[in-house]
Amino acid sequence: MTQDAAATPLLSCRHVGKSFGALAAVRDLSFDVGAGEILGIGGPNGAGKTTLFEVISGLNPATKGAIVLDGQDITKHAPEQICHAGVARTFQLNAGFDSMTARENVLVGAYFGRNNRAVPTLRAGRAAHEAADAALEMLGIADRADKVTGKLPVLDRKLLMMASAMATKPKLLLMDEPVGGLTAREVDRVMDAVRAIKAAGVTIILIEHVMRFLVRLSDRIMIMHHGEKIFEGLPTKLLDDRTVVDVYLGQGASERLRSFMENTHG
Amino acid sequence: MDVLIQIVASGLTLGAMYAVATIGLSLVYGSLNMLNMAHGAILTLGGYICYAAIVHAGLHPALALLAAAFVCALVGLMIYFSAALPLLRAENFETNIFIATIGIGSVIENLMLKGFGPYPIPQPLAVDGQVVIGNVHIPLQNVFILGVAIVLMVGVAILLQRTSAGRAIRATSMNREAAQLMGVRVGRIYAQVLALSGALAAVSGIMISSIATLTPVMGGDPMLKAFIVCVVAGLGNVYGAVVAAIALGLLEAATQYVLGVRWSFATLLLLVILVLIWRPYGLFGKQQVVRL
Repeated sequence: MTQDAAATPLLSCRHVGKSFGALAAVRDLSFDVGAGEILGIGGPNGAGKTTLFEVISGLNPATKGAIVLDGQDITKHAPEQICHAGVARTFQLNAGFDSMTARENVLVGAYFGRNNRAVPTLRAGRAAHEAADAALEMLGIADRADKVTGKLPVLDRKLLMMASAMATKPKLLLMDEPVGGLTAREVDRVMDAVRAIKAAGVTIILIEHVMRFLVRLSDRIMIMHHGEKIFEGLPTKLLDDRTVVDVYLGQGASERLRSFMENTHG
Repeated sequence: MDVLIQIVASGLTLGAMYAVATIGLSLVYGSLNMLNMAHGAILTLGGYICYAAIVHAGLHPALALLAAAFVCALVGLMIYFSAALPLLRAENFETNIFIATIGIGSVIENLMLKGFGPYPIPQPLAVDGQVVIGNVHIPLQNVFILGVAIVLMVGVAILLQRTSAGRAIRATSMNREAAQLMGVRVGRIYAQVLALSGALAAVSGIMISSIATLTPVMGGDPMLKAFIVCVVAGLGNVYGAVVAAIALGLLEAATQYVLGVRWSFATLLLLVILVLIWRPYGLFGKQQVVRL
């Protein structure tokens, strides 16, 4: 922890590849994420962004390359081991435990996510309950803690997913399209939430199609296309890149994004 | 009035036995998407082990019941390690495990045939005496079965709702991937669920054999009815299964009285067909199958 964050990246992917038979969803991808950083990933549909998350979180292990988290090789680890190593993830779709209350959802993360519970105790201890409440509080949904998850509105469910992920006390949080399908006001809410998570010292990798969201939050941006990296750099450099504009953003969207960035940064 | 009491008494007993047989089946389907076709054989094995423990080993009936539950829990674990775990790594788990457990069930059944012979044996775990309600004599055995079933159902409900292990089971059955990513070791959950299901099957087998007799093939009928209950309730829905089991037990008792024994199974099947036409996802199932 005392080491220089830039010198030792928290997550380091080296020549990572994921093939489904003849189809290579992720190809020879190498990148680093420094501790405390937000890396934004964009790219057209089918670029392999979500597959990359599947690979890092261990649900669908890499077929090539190595993934190192905090000096520990996690390439071939099981999803729960990777969770215990400090990686949490939120999904594109609402993936909660629908018939449990919000608090119970978070409690699963708080209880099972931090330690390897080979033989669970009967009751989740005070520590787990406090951690769950803290996570709910942090995401601002503590007042809805006793509502059944399946009945919560979309925004609350997205925030709940983040709270459950935070309850596992991650070093690295993978967020897959956190603002998909939300209104402008709700997007602001999620943006605040992401900033709060970053302020808590968690490193974040963000996949998002909503470019305004991505450029405002990310310290660095990576654009993927056909499973490969076509751009990696500062958000301000994104629009200067010919390939990104041609392949992903298009001329019109680039112009709108440029004026948006000038307005917010100027 | 007496007829009604009689029907309710025997219906509740039947329903309670079906419920215990069904909970295990439903739990396993809910968390693993696995139809355990060996459930009936495990249930019978429980009955035989209880018999052997009392008659041959001279154990106290309560200890014999625990021993049977323990052995059948081990059989559940064995099914996990020998069949479910390797098959989970391959494609088409649901079909493969279905066929694999038919095989396992048949092995267990034949081992029992070899060990205990084909002839019916009475179950020594029995409670003598009766209670009288109105003009109806209800054997204490029925009351005992109902009591054990209620204790088990409450126990399972507390386990699922109130404990961390139960929360992990529910989380896994609602969303396996999300549970894994929150650190739940799903492999262990599967093993626990299969062991629990085995223990419940054993108790249910003992109960059923105590009002019928022990034969190596006695598990087939309760398993079939447990499947019917599962389908009617919505596969994997544990609480719905308990309600459906008791309702079907009462229905069976009523049909047996009104139409005669030979109509009871036909009525049951007819009801299933009607329910599935009306609600293809089961009475308590939701369209987007939410389990447990």
